[in-house]
Amino acid sequence: MSVFDRLQKQLDIQKREHGISALELADLPPNLRKIMRLMLREVVLKYTDLCHAVEAMPAANRLSKPELDSALKTLVEQNWLLCTGEGEFLSYRVNLRRKAGSSLNKDIWASLDNRIAGSKSQEAPNQKINPGG
Amino acid sequence: MAVIVSIHSFRGGTGKSNLTANLASQIAVSGKRVAIIDTDIQSPGIHVLFGLNEEKMGRTLNEFLRSECSIEDVAFDIGEHIGDAPGRKSLAGKAFWLVPSSINSGEISRILRDGYDVGKLNEGMNRLIKGLKLDYLFIDTHPGLNEETLLSIAISDVLLVVMRPDQQDFQGTAVTVDIARGLDVPNLFLLVNKALTRYDPNQIREHVEGIFQAPVACVLPLTEDMADMGSADIFSLRYPDHPWSKSLREAAQAVLNAA
Repeated sequence: MSVFDRLQKQLDIQKREHGISALELADLPPNLRKIMRLMLREVVLKYTDLCHAVEAMPAANRLSKPELDSALKTLVEQNWLLCTGEGEFLSYRVNLRRKAGSSLNKDIWASLDNRIAGSKSQEAPNQKINPGG
Repeated sequence: MAVIVSIHSFRGGTGKSNLTANLASQIAVSGKRVAIIDTDIQSPGIHVLFGLNEEKMGRTLNEFLRSECSIEDVAFDIGEHIGDAPGRKSLAGKAFWLVPSSINSGEISRILRDGYDVGKLNEGMNRLIKGLKLDYLFIDTHPGLNEETLLSIAISDVLLVVMRPDQQDFQGTAVTVDIARGLDVPNLFLLVNKALTRYDPNQIREHVEGIFQAPVACVLPLTEDMADMGSADIFSLRYPDHPWSKSLREAAQAVLNAA
């Protein structure tokens, strides 16, 4: 892996840490929420496709182009959408925050792993006797 | 465009996985391309209704979330592997898949310990829809509210909230309904399960609809026949004329109509 690849990977990890959590979705203002719902369904969308998708919304929910652009600007600033490319290649990708692991002491998990490994090794002889289950 | 259907309950024991399996099966039998994804990573169970155990299920969602395989590798073809249960025989040759979560205790503890990439789960569902050309993706969620549950609600076209006629369920369902409205879910239905047969289902329906201001897709009776089966088969396929199955098909029709 080259230095550039490692750097890019690190940047990707940092972006993921600053992404939106599912818990925050419900608290978004309506326009931002509409865009995020669209993006969550598609994961990646070109700007032009996003414009078409917004145009296809029911009239009551539709965002104007300035509203769409403003919503996108906010979502990108918050790192909830990642923006790549320019011009006709301009596209957006949804950035969901990683679900955090347990904050329990590591010794507890190590102990659980040992127990599980122990019980598996005790089960093994039975499985050999009756492999069909 | 595929329809995403999330089945949720605020509390455990409502029969959510059983309902998901039965609803998805009914829609698969009608000729639609259907998959179920078990996002109840902490306490998976829906695979049992399709005759799977740890050895038979092969790759799991847990492995996909760790980037050890593709989501297509995890999708278990139910239509090709129906086993010998009488109900499931109706699923032979149907375009129907299950993405199971691991039942291995070490795998479950690993997810709890390390967390996982929620974005990858979302991308996996998107890829599943496109790769398998799905008409319907059913998401079986963990009871209560957590990351994957909220994500599934946020991306759903149809949300079915399962509840029993029980005061604890009423309060919990109110929380879920509030969140679903906050997330702009287009089609929200309630499913009342395990209703005592001595009460009029129409009165239960009116009562629940009045409280939550949301349509009730069906009222399913509490039945010993279902308990007796013990998740060994798809009840509504094995006993299509049973009152439970008839009510269940009302909910399936509501899902089809909502789309």
